[in-house]
Amino acid sequence: MLEVSTLAAGYLGQKVVDGIDLAVRPGEAVAIIGSNGAGKTTLFRAIAGLLRPMAGRVMLDGRDVTRWPAQRVAQAGVAYVPAERHLFGGMTVKTNLTLGAYPRRPDRETLESVFEIFPVLRERLQQRAVTLSGGEQQMLAVARALMGRPRLLMLDEPSTGLAPKLAKDAFDALVGLKGTGVTLLVAEQQVPLALSVADRGYVLENGRITMEGTPHELDQNPEVRRAYLGVG
Amino acid sequence: MKAVILDGIVLGLGFGLLGVGMTLVYGLGGVLNLAYGEVAVLAAIVVAQAMAGGIPTALAAVIGVLAAASTGLLLDLTLMRPVYRQSGGNKVLLGLLLTLGVAFVIEGVLTWRDPLGALSINVAGKPISILGVPLAVGSVWASVIALAAAAALLVFFGATIFGRAVRSVIQDELGARLVGISPALVRAVIFALSGGLAGLVAVTQSMTAPLTVNAGFNLTVTALIVSVVGGLGSVAGAFLAGVLLGIVDSVSAYYIGRYITSIVLLGAAVLTILVWPRGLLGGGQG
Repeated sequence: MLEVSTLAAGYLGQKVVDGIDLAVRPGEAVAIIGSNGAGKTTLFRAIAGLLRPMAGRVMLDGRDVTRWPAQRVAQAGVAYVPAERHLFGGMTVKTNLTLGAYPRRPDRETLESVFEIFPVLRERLQQRAVTLSGGEQQMLAVARALMGRPRLLMLDEPSTGLAPKLAKDAFDALVGLKGTGVTLLVAEQQVPLALSVADRGYVLENGRITMEGTPHELDQNPEVRRAYLGVG
Repeated sequence: MKAVILDGIVLGLGFGLLGVGMTLVYGLGGVLNLAYGEVAVLAAIVVAQAMAGGIPTALAAVIGVLAAASTGLLLDLTLMRPVYRQSGGNKVLLGLLLTLGVAFVIEGVLTWRDPLGALSINVAGKPISILGVPLAVGSVWASVIALAAAAALLVFFGATIFGRAVRSVIQDELGARLVGISPALVRAVIFALSGGLAGLVAVTQSMTAPLTVNAGFNLTVTALIVSVVGGLGSVAGAFLAGVLLGIVDSVSAYYIGRYITSIVLLGAAVLTILVWPRGLLGGGQG
Protein backbone atom coordinates (compact mmCIF):
# COMPACT_ATOMS: atom_id res chain seq x y z
CA MET A 1 0.00 0.00 0.00
CA LEU A 2 2.69 2.49 1.04
CA GLU A 3 6.22 2.19 -0.25
CA VAL A 4 8.93 4.64 0.72
CA SER A 5 12.31 4.33 -0.96
CA THR A 6 15.61 6.13 -0.25
CA LEU A 7 13.66 9.09 1.08
CA ALA A 8 15.52 12.14 2.37
CA ALA A 9 13.85 15.16 3.91
CA GLY A 10 14.65 18.03 6.20
CA TYR A 11 14.64 21.76 6.62
CA LEU A 12 16.72 24.60 5.15
CA GLY A 13 18.88 22.23 3.14
CA GLN A 14 19.74 20.11 6.18
CA LYS A 15 18.68 16.48 5.93
CA VAL A 16 16.90 15.29 9.06
CA VAL A 17 16.04 11.84 7.69
CA ASP A 18 18.01 10.14 4.92
CA GLY A 19 17.93 6.89 2.99
CA ILE A 20 14.60 5.78 4.44
CA ASP A 21 13.17 2.55 3.02
CA LEU A 22 9.95 1.26 4.46
CA ALA A 23 6.81 -0.50 3.33
CA VAL A 24 3.35 -0.89 4.78
CA ARG A 25 1.07 -3.63 3.48
CA PRO A 26 -2.72 -3.30 3.40
CA GLY A 27 -4.33 -4.04 6.77
CA GLU A 28 -1.02 -3.98 8.59
CA ALA A 29 -0.13 -1.94 11.67
CA VAL A 30 3.42 -0.65 11.53
CA ALA A 31 5.21 1.27 14.27
CA ILE A 32 8.11 3.67 13.86
CA ILE A 33 9.93 3.86 17.16
CA GLY A 34 12.66 6.27 18.03
CA SER A 35 13.57 8.85 20.60
CA ASN A 36 12.77 12.54 20.49
CA GLY A 37 14.55 14.16 17.55
CA ALA A 38 15.15 10.91 15.67
CA GLY A 39 13.22 12.29 12.69
CA LYS A 40 9.83 10.57 13.09
CA THR A 41 7.81 13.75 12.53
CA THR A 42 9.97 14.85 9.58
CA LEU A 43 9.47 11.44 7.97
CA PHE A 44 5.70 11.61 8.48
CA ARG A 45 5.48 15.16 7.17
CA ALA A 46 7.36 14.12 4.05
CA ILE A 47 5.07 11.14 3.45
CA ALA A 48 1.94 13.25 4.06
CA GLY A 49 3.03 15.93 1.59
CA LEU A 50 3.56 18.69 4.14
CA LEU A 51 7.29 18.71 3.46
CA ARG A 52 8.78 18.29 0.02
CA PRO A 53 11.28 15.40 0.07
CA MET A 54 14.86 16.19 -0.99
CA ALA A 55 15.35 12.77 -2.54
CA GLY A 56 13.64 9.42 -2.86
CA ARG A 57 10.11 8.35 -3.62
CA VAL A 58 6.80 7.82 -1.89
CA MET A 59 4.45 5.40 -3.65
CA LEU A 60 0.84 4.92 -2.66
CA ASP A 61 -0.94 1.94 -4.22
CA GLY A 62 1.56 2.03 -7.07
CA ARG A 63 1.12 5.76 -7.70
CA ASP A 64 4.01 8.16 -7.22
CA VAL A 65 2.75 10.75 -4.71
CA THR A 66 6.18 12.16 -3.83
CA ARG A 67 5.48 15.73 -4.91
CA TRP A 68 1.78 15.88 -4.18
CA PRO A 69 0.60 18.60 -1.80
CA ALA A 70 -0.84 17.42 1.51
CA GLN A 71 -4.47 18.04 0.54
CA ARG A 72 -4.09 15.79 -2.49
CA VAL A 73 -2.41 13.03 -0.49
CA ALA A 74 -5.29 13.30 2.00
CA GLN A 75 -7.85 13.01 -0.81
CA ALA A 76 -6.04 9.90 -2.03
CA GLY A 77 -6.84 8.17 1.29
CA VAL A 78 -3.96 8.99 3.64
CA ALA A 79 -5.04 10.55 6.92
CA TYR A 80 -2.22 12.07 8.93
CA VAL A 81 -2.83 13.01 12.56
CA PRO A 82 0.08 15.17 13.75
CA ALA A 83 1.08 15.29 17.40
CA GLU A 84 -0.26 18.86 17.65
CA ARG A 85 -3.56 17.56 16.19
CA HIS A 86 -4.50 20.78 14.34
CA LEU A 87 -8.18 20.55 15.21
CA PHE A 88 -10.54 23.39 14.33
CA GLY A 89 -10.66 24.67 17.90
CA GLY A 90 -13.39 27.26 17.48
CA MET A 91 -15.75 24.81 15.80
CA THR A 92 -17.92 22.17 17.39
CA VAL A 93 -16.97 18.52 17.58
CA LYS A 94 -19.71 17.90 15.04
CA THR A 95 -18.29 20.37 12.51
CA ASN A 96 -14.80 18.95 12.99
CA LEU A 97 -16.16 15.49 12.17
CA THR A 98 -18.15 16.85 9.22
CA LEU A 99 -15.03 18.43 7.77
CA GLY A 100 -13.19 15.16 8.21
CA ALA A 101 -15.39 13.77 5.44
CA TYR A 102 -14.61 16.69 3.07
CA PRO A 103 -15.43 17.00 0.20
CA ARG A 104 -18.23 14.47 0.75
CA ARG A 105 -21.02 14.83 3.26
CA PRO A 106 -20.42 12.64 6.30
CA ASP A 107 -22.38 9.41 6.10
CA ARG A 108 -24.24 7.95 9.05
CA GLU A 109 -22.49 4.62 8.92
CA THR A 110 -18.97 6.06 9.27
CA LEU A 111 -20.17 8.39 12.01
CA GLU A 112 -21.69 5.49 13.93
CA SER A 113 -18.53 3.41 13.62
CA VAL A 114 -16.49 6.35 14.91
CA PHE A 115 -18.82 6.74 17.90
CA GLU A 116 -18.43 3.04 18.58
CA ILE A 117 -14.68 3.51 18.98
CA PHE A 118 -14.94 6.86 20.81
CA PRO A 119 -18.35 6.91 22.58
CA VAL A 120 -17.51 10.06 24.54
CA LEU A 121 -17.53 12.16 21.35
CA ARG A 122 -21.24 11.53 20.91
CA GLU A 123 -21.88 13.35 24.19
CA ARG A 124 -19.61 16.23 23.17
CA LEU A 125 -21.05 16.87 19.67
CA GLN A 126 -22.13 20.46 20.30
CA GLN A 127 -19.05 21.40 22.32
CA ARG A 128 -16.29 23.46 20.75
CA ALA A 129 -13.12 21.45 20.20
CA VAL A 130 -10.95 23.74 22.38
CA THR A 131 -13.10 22.93 25.39
CA LEU A 132 -12.29 19.22 25.24
CA SER A 133 -9.71 17.60 27.51
CA GLY A 134 -6.38 16.52 26.03
CA GLY A 135 -7.48 12.91 25.73
CA GLU A 136 -10.76 13.87 24.10
CA GLN A 137 -8.93 16.13 21.66
CA GLN A 138 -6.70 13.24 20.67
CA MET A 139 -9.79 11.06 20.16
CA LEU A 140 -11.39 13.81 18.06
CA ALA A 141 -8.25 14.13 15.95
CA VAL A 142 -8.29 10.40 15.18
CA ALA A 143 -12.06 10.45 14.71
CA ARG A 144 -11.84 13.37 12.29
CA ALA A 145 -9.22 11.45 10.32
CA LEU A 146 -11.44 8.35 10.25
CA MET A 147 -14.42 10.33 8.89
CA GLY A 148 -12.67 10.51 5.52
CA ARG A 149 -12.60 6.69 5.48
CA PRO A 150 -8.84 6.63 4.95
CA ARG A 151 -7.04 3.55 3.75
CA LEU A 152 -3.88 4.53 5.58
CA LEU A 153 -4.00 6.24 8.99
CA MET A 154 -0.75 7.86 10.13
CA LEU A 155 -0.53 8.80 13.79
CA ASP A 156 2.36 10.87 15.09
CA GLU A 157 2.93 10.36 18.83
CA PRO A 158 -0.68 9.68 19.78
CA SER A 159 0.38 9.55 23.43
CA THR A 160 1.56 13.20 23.42
CA GLY A 161 0.21 15.14 26.36
CA LEU A 162 -1.74 12.22 27.73
CA ALA A 163 -1.45 10.74 31.22
CA PRO A 164 -0.10 7.14 31.13
CA LYS A 165 -3.54 5.67 31.72
CA LEU A 166 -5.07 7.73 28.90
CA ALA A 167 -2.20 6.90 26.57
CA LYS A 168 -2.86 3.23 27.27
CA ASP A 169 -6.57 3.77 26.48
CA ALA A 170 -5.67 5.53 23.25
CA PHE A 171 -3.58 2.58 22.12
CA ASP A 172 -6.28 0.12 23.15
CA ALA A 173 -8.60 2.08 20.85
CA LEU A 174 -6.03 1.68 18.07
CA VAL A 175 -5.95 -2.06 18.61
CA GLY A 176 -9.74 -2.00 18.21
CA LEU A 177 -9.31 0.03 15.04
CA LYS A 178 -7.03 -2.59 13.53
CA GLY A 179 -9.95 -4.99 13.38
CA THR A 180 -11.85 -2.62 11.07
CA GLY A 181 -9.44 -3.06 8.17
CA VAL A 182 -7.70 0.30 8.30
CA THR A 183 -3.94 0.27 7.74
CA LEU A 184 -1.94 1.94 10.49
CA LEU A 185 1.41 3.69 10.61
CA VAL A 186 2.23 4.92 14.11
CA ALA A 187 5.25 6.90 15.30
CA GLU A 188 5.80 6.62 19.02
CA GLN A 189 8.65 7.08 21.47
CA GLN A 190 6.96 5.03 24.17
CA VAL A 191 8.12 1.74 22.78
CA PRO A 192 5.97 -0.66 24.84
CA LEU A 193 2.86 1.20 23.71
CA ALA A 194 3.98 1.18 20.10
CA LEU A 195 4.75 -2.52 20.15
CA SER A 196 1.38 -3.29 21.78
CA VAL A 197 -0.45 -2.32 18.59
CA ALA A 198 2.07 -3.11 15.84
CA ASP A 199 2.48 -6.13 13.58
CA ARG A 200 5.89 -4.85 12.60
CA GLY A 201 8.21 -2.08 13.70
CA TYR A 202 11.06 0.04 12.44
CA VAL A 203 13.62 1.70 14.68
CA LEU A 204 14.56 5.20 13.57
CA GLU A 205 17.80 6.61 14.94
CA ASN A 206 19.44 9.89 13.92
CA GLY A 207 17.37 10.04 10.75
CA ARG A 208 18.11 6.50 9.58
CA ILE A 209 16.32 3.20 9.97
CA THR A 210 18.58 0.93 11.98
CA MET A 211 16.36 -2.07 12.64
CA GLU A 212 13.20 -3.75 11.48
CA GLY A 213 11.25 -6.64 12.93
CA THR A 214 8.22 -8.04 14.64
CA PRO A 215 7.29 -6.66 18.07
CA HIS A 216 8.70 -9.84 19.61
CA GLU A 217 12.02 -9.50 17.81
CA LEU A 218 12.34 -5.84 18.71
CA ASP A 219 11.30 -6.49 22.28
CA GLN A 220 13.99 -9.14 22.66
CA ASN A 221 16.68 -7.12 20.91
CA PRO A 222 19.32 -6.07 23.48
CA GLU A 223 19.94 -2.75 21.69
CA VAL A 224 16.27 -1.82 21.80
CA ARG A 225 15.96 -2.97 25.38
CA ARG A 226 18.87 -0.84 26.47
CA ALA A 227 18.01 2.26 24.46
CA TYR A 228 14.23 2.41 24.77
CA LEU A 229 13.02 0.12 27.48
CA GLY A 230 15.51 1.13 30.13
CA VAL A 231 16.54 -2.47 30.61
CA GLY A 232 20.19 -3.28 30.53
CA MET B 1 -34.47 60.35 16.62
CA LYS B 2 -36.24 57.29 15.21
CA ALA B 3 -35.53 58.54 11.69
CA VAL B 4 -31.87 59.10 12.55
CA ILE B 5 -31.50 55.53 13.87
CA LEU B 6 -33.31 54.07 10.88
CA ASP B 7 -31.08 56.05 8.53
CA GLY B 8 -28.15 54.69 10.46
CA ILE B 9 -29.36 51.10 10.00
CA VAL B 10 -29.78 51.63 6.25
CA LEU B 11 -26.28 53.11 6.09
CA GLY B 12 -24.97 50.35 8.33
CA LEU B 13 -26.29 47.51 6.20
CA GLY B 14 -24.32 49.05 3.35
CA PHE B 15 -21.27 49.23 5.65
CA GLY B 16 -21.73 45.58 6.55
CA LEU B 17 -21.91 44.51 2.92
CA LEU B 18 -18.81 46.58 2.26
CA GLY B 19 -16.89 45.20 5.24
CA VAL B 20 -17.64 41.54 4.70
CA GLY B 21 -15.66 41.26 1.47
CA MET B 22 -12.63 42.84 3.11
CA THR B 23 -12.83 40.79 6.30
CA LEU B 24 -13.08 37.41 4.53
CA VAL B 25 -9.97 37.99 2.45
CA TYR B 26 -8.02 39.14 5.49
CA GLY B 27 -9.18 36.24 7.64
CA LEU B 28 -8.21 33.77 4.97
CA GLY B 29 -5.08 35.00 3.26
CA GLY B 30 -3.80 37.57 5.75
CA VAL B 31 -4.10 40.20 3.03
CA LEU B 32 -5.57 43.61 3.76
CA ASN B 33 -6.81 44.40 0.29
CA LEU B 34 -6.23 48.14 -0.17
CA ALA B 35 -7.57 47.88 -3.72
CA TYR B 36 -10.96 46.78 -2.40
CA GLY B 37 -12.70 50.15 -2.78
CA GLU B 38 -11.18 50.61 -6.25
CA VAL B 39 -12.64 47.27 -7.34
CA ALA B 40 -16.04 48.60 -6.30
CA VAL B 41 -15.44 51.80 -8.29
CA LEU B 42 -14.33 49.73 -11.27
CA ALA B 43 -17.61 47.81 -11.08
CA ALA B 44 -19.54 51.08 -10.80
CA ILE B 45 -17.93 52.46 -13.96
CA VAL B 46 -18.56 49.18 -15.82
CA VAL B 47 -22.24 49.32 -14.82
CA ALA B 48 -22.50 53.01 -15.78
CA GLN B 49 -20.90 52.39 -19.18
CA ALA B 50 -23.11 49.38 -19.82
CA MET B 51 -26.21 51.39 -18.93
CA ALA B 52 -25.04 54.23 -21.19
CA GLY B 53 -24.71 51.63 -23.93
CA GLY B 54 -28.38 50.77 -23.58
CA ILE B 55 -28.14 47.61 -21.48
CA PRO B 56 -31.01 47.29 -18.95
CA THR B 57 -30.03 48.29 -15.40
CA ALA B 58 -30.42 44.84 -13.82
CA LEU B 59 -28.31 43.16 -16.49
CA ALA B 60 -25.74 45.97 -16.31
CA ALA B 61 -25.53 45.43 -12.54
CA VAL B 62 -24.91 41.71 -13.01
CA ILE B 63 -22.17 42.47 -15.54
CA GLY B 64 -20.58 44.89 -13.07
CA VAL B 65 -20.64 42.35 -10.24
CA LEU B 66 -19.12 39.68 -12.50
CA ALA B 67 -16.41 42.10 -13.67
CA ALA B 68 -15.53 42.84 -10.05
CA ALA B 69 -15.51 39.13 -9.16
CA SER B 70 -13.18 38.41 -12.08
CA THR B 71 -10.88 41.21 -10.95
CA GLY B 72 -10.73 39.63 -7.49
CA LEU B 73 -9.99 36.22 -8.94
CA LEU B 74 -7.31 37.62 -11.24
CA LEU B 75 -5.63 39.36 -8.29
CA ASP B 76 -5.56 36.10 -6.34
CA LEU B 77 -4.16 34.07 -9.20
CA THR B 78 -1.42 36.55 -10.10
CA LEU B 79 -0.15 39.25 -7.75
CA MET B 80 -1.22 37.60 -4.50
CA ARG B 81 0.70 34.36 -5.14
CA PRO B 82 4.06 35.67 -3.85
CA VAL B 83 2.25 37.15 -0.84
CA TYR B 84 0.92 33.77 0.30
CA ARG B 85 4.44 32.34 0.24
CA GLN B 86 5.58 34.90 2.82
CA SER B 87 4.72 34.75 6.48
CA GLY B 88 4.28 37.09 9.41
CA GLY B 89 5.10 40.78 9.02
CA ASN B 90 6.53 40.34 5.53
CA LYS B 91 3.28 38.85 4.32
CA VAL B 92 1.18 41.72 5.66
CA LEU B 93 3.58 44.32 4.28
CA LEU B 94 3.89 42.77 0.83
CA GLY B 95 0.10 42.38 0.66
CA LEU B 96 -0.38 46.04 1.60
CA LEU B 97 2.16 47.29 -0.95
CA LEU B 98 0.90 45.17 -3.84
CA THR B 99 -2.79 45.93 -3.29
CA LEU B 100 -1.95 49.62 -2.83
CA GLY B 101 -0.22 49.49 -6.21
CA VAL B 102 -3.27 47.86 -7.76
CA ALA B 103 -5.45 50.58 -6.20
CA PHE B 104 -3.28 53.30 -7.78
CA VAL B 105 -3.40 51.60 -11.16
CA ILE B 106 -7.20 51.12 -11.17
CA GLU B 107 -7.80 54.66 -9.90
CA GLY B 108 -5.33 56.13 -12.39
CA VAL B 109 -6.76 54.34 -15.38
CA LEU B 110 -10.36 55.13 -14.43
CA THR B 111 -9.78 58.85 -13.79
CA TRP B 112 -7.77 59.07 -17.01
CA ARG B 113 -10.35 57.36 -19.19
CA ASP B 114 -13.47 58.61 -17.43
CA PRO B 115 -12.66 61.57 -15.13
CA LEU B 116 -16.30 62.46 -14.54
CA GLY B 117 -17.49 58.87 -14.34
CA ALA B 118 -20.16 58.12 -11.81
CA LEU B 119 -22.85 55.53 -11.26
CA SER B 120 -26.29 56.53 -10.21
CA ILE B 121 -29.12 54.02 -10.27
CA ASN B 122 -32.50 55.63 -9.91
CA VAL B 123 -35.12 53.42 -8.40
CA ALA B 124 -38.47 54.95 -9.21
CA GLY B 125 -41.29 55.07 -6.71
CA LYS B 126 -42.73 56.96 -3.78
CA PRO B 127 -40.97 56.76 -0.40
CA ILE B 128 -41.96 53.70 1.61
CA SER B 129 -42.99 54.19 5.22
CA ILE B 130 -41.20 51.94 7.67
CA LEU B 131 -42.08 52.31 11.37
CA GLY B 132 -43.65 55.64 10.43
CA VAL B 133 -40.48 56.95 8.84
CA PRO B 134 -40.57 57.55 5.09
CA LEU B 135 -37.59 55.96 3.36
CA ALA B 136 -36.53 56.49 -0.25
CA VAL B 137 -37.24 53.46 -2.43
CA GLY B 138 -33.55 53.30 -3.34
CA SER B 139 -32.60 52.99 0.35
CA VAL B 140 -35.13 50.22 0.89
CA TRP B 141 -33.85 48.32 -2.14
CA ALA B 142 -30.24 48.74 -1.05
CA SER B 143 -31.08 47.47 2.44
CA VAL B 144 -33.04 44.50 1.15
CA ILE B 145 -30.15 43.51 -1.13
CA ALA B 146 -27.67 43.86 1.75
CA LEU B 147 -29.88 41.74 4.04
CA ALA B 148 -30.35 39.10 1.35
CA ALA B 149 -26.59 38.98 0.78
CA ALA B 150 -26.00 38.66 4.53
CA ALA B 151 -28.48 35.79 4.76
CA ALA B 152 -26.98 34.04 1.74
CA LEU B 153 -23.46 34.39 3.16
CA LEU B 154 -24.49 33.08 6.58
CA VAL B 155 -26.15 30.05 5.01
CA PHE B 156 -23.13 29.48 2.78
CA PHE B 157 -20.66 29.60 5.67
CA GLY B 158 -22.88 27.92 8.24
CA ALA B 159 -24.58 25.14 6.34
CA THR B 160 -22.61 24.15 3.27
CA ILE B 161 -19.59 21.89 3.38
CA PHE B 162 -17.53 24.28 1.24
CA GLY B 163 -18.47 27.19 3.50
CA ARG B 164 -17.27 25.24 6.51
CA ALA B 165 -14.11 24.39 4.60
CA VAL B 166 -13.50 28.12 4.16
CA ARG B 167 -13.87 28.68 7.91
CA SER B 168 -11.56 25.77 8.63
CA VAL B 169 -8.82 27.36 6.54
CA ILE B 170 -9.29 30.60 8.51
CA GLN B 171 -8.92 28.66 11.78
CA ASP B 172 -6.14 26.21 10.99
CA GLU B 173 -4.77 26.06 7.48
CA LEU B 174 -2.64 23.00 8.16
CA GLY B 175 -5.55 21.17 9.75
CA ALA B 176 -7.63 22.01 6.69
CA ARG B 177 -5.01 20.56 4.35
CA LEU B 178 -4.92 17.39 6.43
CA VAL B 179 -8.60 16.75 5.80
CA GLY B 180 -8.05 17.33 2.07
CA ILE B 181 -9.07 20.99 1.69
CA SER B 182 -7.03 23.00 -0.80
CA PRO B 183 -6.29 26.44 0.69
CA ALA B 184 -5.47 27.73 -2.81
CA LEU B 185 -8.92 26.78 -4.11
CA VAL B 186 -10.62 28.29 -1.06
CA ARG B 187 -8.64 31.52 -1.44
CA ALA B 188 -9.47 31.81 -5.15
CA VAL B 189 -13.19 31.38 -4.44
CA ILE B 190 -13.11 33.88 -1.58
CA PHE B 191 -11.17 36.47 -3.59
CA ALA B 192 -13.73 36.18 -6.38
CA LEU B 193 -16.57 36.39 -3.83
CA SER B 194 -14.94 39.42 -2.23
CA GLY B 195 -14.65 41.13 -5.59
CA GLY B 196 -18.28 40.31 -6.36
CA LEU B 197 -19.33 41.79 -3.02
CA ALA B 198 -17.40 44.99 -3.82
CA GLY B 199 -19.33 45.12 -7.09
CA LEU B 200 -22.60 44.61 -5.25
CA VAL B 201 -21.71 47.45 -2.87
CA ALA B 202 -21.17 49.71 -5.88
CA VAL B 203 -24.65 48.84 -7.11
CA THR B 204 -26.44 49.33 -3.77
CA GLN B 205 -24.60 52.54 -2.85
CA SER B 206 -25.47 54.09 -6.17
CA MET B 207 -29.15 53.53 -5.41
CA THR B 208 -28.99 56.14 -2.64
CA ALA B 209 -26.34 58.56 -3.93
CA PRO B 210 -24.11 58.76 -7.01
CA LEU B 211 -20.90 56.74 -6.69
CA THR B 212 -18.12 58.77 -8.29
CA VAL B 213 -14.83 57.67 -9.75
CA ASN B 214 -12.86 58.99 -6.76
CA ALA B 215 -14.86 57.16 -4.08
CA GLY B 216 -12.44 54.23 -3.82
CA PHE B 217 -10.28 55.42 -0.96
CA ASN B 218 -13.26 56.16 1.27
CA LEU B 219 -14.79 52.78 0.54
CA THR B 220 -11.53 51.01 1.39
CA VAL B 221 -11.13 52.87 4.68
CA THR B 222 -14.74 52.22 5.68
CA ALA B 223 -14.40 48.54 4.83
CA LEU B 224 -11.23 48.39 6.91
CA ILE B 225 -12.93 49.99 9.92
CA VAL B 226 -15.93 47.65 9.66
CA SER B 227 -13.73 44.56 9.48
CA VAL B 228 -11.63 45.63 12.46
CA VAL B 229 -14.68 46.32 14.60
CA GLY B 230 -16.51 43.18 13.48
CA GLY B 231 -13.57 40.87 13.96
CA LEU B 232 -11.40 39.82 11.04
CA GLY B 233 -12.82 36.85 9.20
CA SER B 234 -16.34 36.99 10.64
CA VAL B 235 -19.38 37.43 8.37
CA ALA B 236 -21.87 38.01 11.18
CA GLY B 237 -19.37 40.33 12.87
CA ALA B 238 -19.03 42.47 9.75
CA PHE B 239 -22.79 43.01 9.48
CA LEU B 240 -23.19 43.58 13.21
CA ALA B 241 -20.33 46.09 13.20
CA GLY B 242 -21.69 47.68 10.02
CA VAL B 243 -25.09 48.35 11.57
CA LEU B 244 -23.59 49.62 14.86
CA LEU B 245 -21.19 51.91 13.02
CA GLY B 246 -23.98 53.06 10.69
CA ILE B 247 -26.03 54.14 13.70
CA VAL B 248 -23.00 55.82 15.31
CA ASP B 249 -22.29 57.60 12.01
CA SER B 250 -25.85 58.76 11.55
CA VAL B 251 -26.28 59.93 15.15
CA SER B 252 -22.98 61.81 15.25
CA ALA B 253 -23.73 63.43 11.89
CA TYR B 254 -27.11 64.59 13.18
CA TYR B 255 -26.00 65.91 16.56
CA ILE B 256 -22.48 67.11 15.78
CA GLY B 257 -22.07 67.39 12.04
CA ARG B 258 -21.16 65.40 8.98
CA TYR B 259 -17.51 66.52 9.19
CA ILE B 260 -17.02 64.55 12.42
CA THR B 261 -18.19 61.11 11.25
CA SER B 262 -14.91 59.88 9.69
CA ILE B 263 -13.10 60.65 12.92
CA VAL B 264 -15.80 58.99 15.03
CA LEU B 265 -15.63 55.83 12.91
CA LEU B 266 -11.85 55.70 13.08
CA GLY B 267 -12.13 56.25 16.84
CA ALA B 268 -14.49 53.29 17.06
CA ALA B 269 -11.93 51.10 15.26
CA VAL B 270 -9.11 52.24 17.54
CA LEU B 271 -11.25 51.67 20.62
CA THR B 272 -12.14 48.18 19.39
CA ILE B 273 -8.48 47.25 18.93
CA LEU B 274 -7.72 48.47 22.45
CA VAL B 275 -10.70 46.90 24.20
CA TRP B 276 -11.55 43.78 22.13
CA PRO B 277 -8.48 43.04 20.01
CA ARG B 278 -10.33 40.24 18.21
CA GLY B 279 -13.30 42.43 17.29
CA LEU B 280 -16.94 41.79 18.15
CA LEU B 281 -17.06 38.27 16.67
CA GLY B 282 -13.47 37.57 15.68
CA GLY B 283 -11.80 34.23 15.09
CA GLY B 284 -13.71 32.73 12.18
CA GLN B 285 -16.62 31.40 14.20
CA GLY B 286 -19.31 33.38 12.48
